[in-house]
Amino acid sequence: MTERPFLRTFTTPAALCALGFAAAMAAVLQYSLRAYVPGSLDPGGFTLANFADLLKPLYARVFFDTVVICAVTAVATLIVGYPLAYALVHIEQPILKSTLLVIVVTPLFLGEVVRTYSWIIVLGNNGFINSILLSLGLVEKPLQLMFTSFGVVVALVHVTLPVMVIMLAAGLSHIDRDYARAAESLGAGPIRVFLTVTLPLSMPGVVAGTTTAFAWTFSAFATPQLIGGGRVNMISNLVYQLGFASFNFPFAATLCVAGLALTAVVLGLLQIAARPLQKIKVH
Amino acid sequence: MQAIPTIEQNEAAVRFDAVTKRFDDVVALNAVSLDVQTGEFLTLLGPSGCGKTTLLKLAAGFLGPDAGAISINGRRVNELPTYQRGIGMMFQNYALFPHMSVADNVAYGLKTRRVPKPERQQRVAEVLALVKLTGMERRMPRQLSGGQQQRVALARALVINPTVLLLDEPFSALDKSLRTSMQVELREIQRKLGLTTIFVTHDQSEALSLSDRVAVMSEGRIRQLGSPVDVYRAPTDQFVATFVGDNNKLRGRLLSVGDSDAVIELGSAQIKVPSERLAKLEKSAPVDLFVRPEQFCVVSANEPSAMTGHVVAQIYQGGHVDLQIECPGASRDRLLVRSAGDQAVVRWPMGATVGVSIQPGGCAAFPAE
Repeated sequence: MTERPFLRTFTTPAALCALGFAAAMAAVLQYSLRAYVPGSLDPGGFTLANFADLLKPLYARVFFDTVVICAVTAVATLIVGYPLAYALVHIEQPILKSTLLVIVVTPLFLGEVVRTYSWIIVLGNNGFINSILLSLGLVEKPLQLMFTSFGVVVALVHVTLPVMVIMLAAGLSHIDRDYARAAESLGAGPIRVFLTVTLPLSMPGVVAGTTTAFAWTFSAFATPQLIGGGRVNMISNLVYQLGFASFNFPFAATLCVAGLALTAVVLGLLQIAARPLQKIKVH
Repeated sequence: MQAIPTIEQNEAAVRFDAVTKRFDDVVALNAVSLDVQTGEFLTLLGPSGCGKTTLLKLAAGFLGPDAGAISINGRRVNELPTYQRGIGMMFQNYALFPHMSVADNVAYGLKTRRVPKPERQQRVAEVLALVKLTGMERRMPRQLSGGQQQRVALARALVINPTVLLLDEPFSALDKSLRTSMQVELREIQRKLGLTTIFVTHDQSEALSLSDRVAVMSEGRIRQLGSPVDVYRAPTDQFVATFVGDNNKLRGRLLSVGDSDAVIELGSAQIKVPSERLAKLEKSAPVDLFVRPEQFCVVSANEPSAMTGHVVAQIYQGGHVDLQIECPGASRDRLLVRSAGDQAVVRWPMGATVGVSIQPGGCAAFPAE
């Protein structure tokens, strides 16, 4: 092996950061194994009761809802994002291309709270959608969009879209155009080229995008808090309620640990399911 | 008697009629006309940026012309999308579908044509036998060597019985020994099937060895169209003379111009060349004389010769020896002289003073640039 004197210099800051994160994680883990003393901010003695409490229907339900909301959001983002990513990669006009890119990326630059409030304006009973539907006479009373899972998913798709589109576009742009040209030369029309060549070759990007979208939504807080309004709860909201409304830090820590473990398990399963796709060598 | 309309016997398989293609302000093809005959192996040869690949892409339909017409088997295809043209194409990087087995890659064009499964399987087996890949059906492209990948690409293009086979520098990714054997094999298959083929390359030796006809291109135009021998022996301009094969450019003077031959004075020697390109010149005008390395003859310094110089480099090539000879009186550049066999190695050592004479016939001359 050759000497790499810079390696140590460059990795030291990273190692220090990692140490900090590890210490924080250890603290959370430690809290999750302590008993809750009502009326006190200090935790009690060692116990596994917090983890047993996770199985109570009240809490298990939130975990289940979170996974469902994340899964639905990831799939919906994929469906909305794929055509956008495809257009982004295949549009040749520079102005059109950069316009599309700016539109796609903008949600990343808005604060989470600002973005969520704008969705309240759109989804509310007197909001944009309902006033249009009412004035057109399509509905008689406002549709209930706020405080529903549907509203939460819509807003989450908006947040997640930039990440999905960027990951899909990266995957799509790595597909050599000659594959599509070869298929065309062999008599395949545009739809067949897409279904038999472009789509299968873009699967690594689809898997990466969906996985990231899932993880990205799992920790959502402001969106379910404001749009769900307490009627749609995700893990982060539960942690907030227990930690900052009930001051039950040990159980809040347990929820964090369980949430982290669940994310790891789900992502691991996705990777295993996607393993056959990794064999596709696009180049 | 009334003339009976007949199908024209020599209908070109592919016809480019004054085809122009621009990319923004750059003219990639400038009113190019070219007929590719049925069953012919025609090579588009030229340096990068000469328009040869653009011409191929126009034939394939990946690009559309800005002006002019393209027809395949007498049918105008300007507006016809690629997938309806019935062409077979081999790409520089083969473009084998990485997610499909060899058999699925080859069957792809048959599936788009809705060929029933039993016939499909039979034709895939036949074409794989033709390219010597029987038994490889279930392999994935990444499990194949470069040569095998190329055979699959060829099989995939052949299995659909294309009206014309388009080859975009298919040999450039292969090492030299494999390249030669693949070239021979491709040409044998092409002859056997009588397949009209357009082949794009920047490699002049590949063009000379494979083609029925070569179109030498530069700057969006066809500079010369002819058999490999024509292009090598009788280049029509200085570009073709320089680009195709090794050549030496010498400055001479025009002595006399006749109907078919002209005589050029080079040092003490007089060389006869075709007069076609020199007709407009006045006597004693300067001309550029192109002499192939194998047309030079090295002699002892004391024998009569066209030029004298000294050997500055010897490049031993096994079957022949290339000598670089500096002749300050005749040319600013070193002369490249090719001597068959390997006697030249000992006979004309480095630094030796030698005479260089020119064998009659086969030189080309153009008005000096």
